Amino acid sequence: MTDSAEIAKRIASLIGGDHVRAPRGAEARAAAVIAQPADPAETAALVRMCEADAISLAPLGAARTLSEIRRAPAALGVSLARMARVIAYEPDDMTIVAQAGISVAQVNSAMAQSGQRMPVDPHEPELTSVGAMIAAHHAGPLRLSEGTARDLLIGIQFIGHGGAMIRSGGRVVKNVAGYDFMKLMNGSFGTLGIITEAAFKVRPIPEFYALAIASFDRAAGAFDVARSFANAAPLAHLEVTSPRMSVALGLAPTYWVLAGISGTRAEIDYLRGAIARASLAEVEFLAGDDARRMYCALRDCDFADWAIGAQLVVPPAALAGVLEACDAEFRAHAGSGIAQIITREPPAPDAARAIVARWRELARAARGHLRVLRAAPEIRDAIEFFDTPNHGALELMRAMKSAFDPVKIFNPGCFAGGI
Amino acid sequence: MGKWRPRRDLAWYGRVATVNRNGTVTRGLDAGLIDELRAIVGADGVVSHSSELKVYECDGWTIEKSAPDLLVMPRSTEQTSAILSALWRRDVAFVPRGAGTGLSGGALPVEAPVMICTSRMNRILEIDLANRRVEVESGVVNLHVTNAVRGAGFFYAPDPSSQQACTIGGNIAENSGGPHTLKYGVTANHVLGVTLVLASGQIVELGGACEEPCGYDLVGAVVGAEGTVGIVTRATLRIMREPQAHRTLLATFAGAEAATRAVSAVIAAGIVPGAIEMMDRLIIRAVEEAFHVGLPADAGAVLIIELDGLAAALDEQAAAVTAIARSAGASEVRLARDEAERGALWKARKRAFGAVGRLAPNYATQDGVVPRTRLPEILRVISAVSTKYNLAIGNVFHAGDGNIHPIILYDERDPAQLRGAIDAGREILAACVTMGGSLTGEHGIGVEKQGEMPLLFSPDDLRAMTELRHVFDPRERSNPNKIIPRPGVCVEVAAPHRQVPV
Repeated sequence: MTDSAEIAKRIASLIGGDHVRAPRGAEARAAAVIAQPADPAETAALVRMCEADAISLAPLGAARTLSEIRRAPAALGVSLARMARVIAYEPDDMTIVAQAGISVAQVNSAMAQSGQRMPVDPHEPELTSVGAMIAAHHAGPLRLSEGTARDLLIGIQFIGHGGAMIRSGGRVVKNVAGYDFMKLMNGSFGTLGIITEAAFKVRPIPEFYALAIASFDRAAGAFDVARSFANAAPLAHLEVTSPRMSVALGLAPTYWVLAGISGTRAEIDYLRGAIARASLAEVEFLAGDDARRMYCALRDCDFADWAIGAQLVVPPAALAGVLEACDAEFRAHAGSGIAQIITREPPAPDAARAIVARWRELARAARGHLRVLRAAPEIRDAIEFFDTPNHGALELMRAMKSAFDPVKIFNPGCFAGGI
Repeated sequence: MGKWRPRRDLAWYGRVATVNRNGTVTRGLDAGLIDELRAIVGADGVVSHSSELKVYECDGWTIEKSAPDLLVMPRSTEQTSAILSALWRRDVAFVPRGAGTGLSGGALPVEAPVMICTSRMNRILEIDLANRRVEVESGVVNLHVTNAVRGAGFFYAPDPSSQQACTIGGNIAENSGGPHTLKYGVTANHVLGVTLVLASGQIVELGGACEEPCGYDLVGAVVGAEGTVGIVTRATLRIMREPQAHRTLLATFAGAEAATRAVSAVIAAGIVPGAIEMMDRLIIRAVEEAFHVGLPADAGAVLIIELDGLAAALDEQAAAVTAIARSAGASEVRLARDEAERGALWKARKRAFGAVGRLAPNYATQDGVVPRTRLPEILRVISAVSTKYNLAIGNVFHAGDGNIHPIILYDERDPAQLRGAIDAGREILAACVTMGGSLTGEHGIGVEKQGEMPLLFSPDDLRAMTELRHVFDPRERSNPNKIIPRPGVCVEVAAPHRQVPV
């Protein structure tokens, strides 16, 4: 076992003493030492060093994902803070290539002048790096209409076993040459390598955005109306929030439906009419800055203060029923069958284990699964963060991990099935 | 006619010379295996006569031909599993095939004696409108999925030109596109789960009915793997609500370059049409002569631009597109007046390849991609290549995606023309890569473009891809000798091959 001071010294000799540091704040729960390589070549040198001495390594953006789910810090955190440039933006091609350390918000501000955006909207995009968005498959409300990184990634570069720099895809919007590492790396939680660069297709920013909101005393009523909205019109996003989540949005403590619409003036007018006609309840429409503020609050709903936060994934039509059975507070992407659910009160470790097990049981009964997003440090050891894939799929995943990380240095023990 | 030269020096595992007592020819496979396969699928599910096998000697990539020794047609996942287990025990390689409409030789047997055809697994298993999903067997024809849900107002988005024949399994293998992928994405964006039979015969369920997978996204790795990771027998597909309305425009230009400039201008204006398709002079004439659909026969190029979405917005968008096309030089922009006119335009577009068959004894459809803004440039390259090799080249393609399909006309009876057709295609592809594009947008690498893979990928990239494939099929028994070129082996297509009936 190599200790932190020794690791820091060796990193300094590889990439310079200015670029190795102690972890700050929550980073300490993700890694014991932080290295900040300047480029893919330095990243590769770090990977080779770690492989030579079996040093565990965690690729980090702002460390917000791994600091919530690692049971123990990795020996080394590789921060891509110095690899945060836009490499190529071609507005007329509607593509952008960026280094993985750049934040989602910075990528979008580089395109704002051209009226375009990379429409994946993770929680707090100014803190979410492109690499983290891909590796942890972070997405937000707009997933309903715009998809996730899975749909928009057109090329990827990562540093893998042996420090090899591997590319897949390219910079064009349609491309089926070779095997698809974009999909494989997406949601791989840093277990197969360090993502260093990504290319995306981008979309025009809609001219107008508005939000339809309606309040309900019961969850079932909210989901019924959400469904009628979805059937009445193509929506930009469709969320349902539980009472305590609603309060965090500045709304009354009831169940709320928040349906986003976007497009031209004529489209917005039509969509407003269609939603109003579809609803038996009273619908309030927010526009302009009011709509924008509410959307940002909805996107950035904070789960960090809660004892257990988890992501429930089920077929969309099953979501309302499973959520009711879970008896938890939630923000639901009602059109996508995905919800972030949280416990009302901080439980003791035994109770925490039971709660997660029960949620997971309910998810599986609906042909879905559940991943824990965060757990308070005192109950973390009691909790299984990742759900277990079926036996055959898990065997393939283990083989995939062995093939791409034979020395087991990349974020070990922090993925499905103990990978 | 040159003789078929095996492109690999690997042995044909499991092959032995066998002549049956009844005189039928089952070249190379031992009778015990054939009996076992017959027991699995029934006598009508195994084809061993060389005359019948000739039908399977190639897919849509007709430059190379090689019939399998044996064809097996399972009816279920379990039968597929039993077949692959039997092959695995004897170390016999196989090639999966759907409808054989692929255009890069993905279903061409290359040292794979057994072909497994999925066409009898053709049931739509479940239509789940509440979740916007359908579950189908992989032999279901692409268009049949949309036909099954259209009445309820839904459609299955990937729409390759061959959609009346091609299968979902083939689409998954090739990650197929189509005109409407501009707005709606390719097959990978619409497959949520698959049942995959590994080369070993093991059945695995990947993904499912949910939006996110549990663990690695293995469905994403299987889609587009060109049948090299096993055989997909079932798939859960996403279906979409049909757009409320369409506006389909036909814009006429003096030349292809002006048409492609209009494409860039439409995209740059922030308009995302459902599809933007281009046809050049040669294709327009061929289509008009074959089908009389009313295309302007004297035009240098036409664009078919389809806008879809909310009716409330489309007239405004159609007016904007019309103005953009006119300022890019369109002499006429015509709006399809009704569903019949719209249908006629799409029929013209989707039957373009068929029409080309009238112009020359043979044609090779290339598939390359450039950044959309480089379209005028690649068209100049294609034109120069056409002159250089003295071969006519037509262009019909998905302009909005930068996905070109030059159609190279030749006569395979003239070896110089055949050689020229192959070289011309390669030169165009190399130019695509130089412009920052790709070797293939939707047809796949297959056998056709293995030799070009190093233009796009480094040895490390190719090694990683091979490792990915080995996770599913460590012995390379499923569709061997595709996609990845073997180091040190230069793939040469010397001449077309026709299997001579024994």
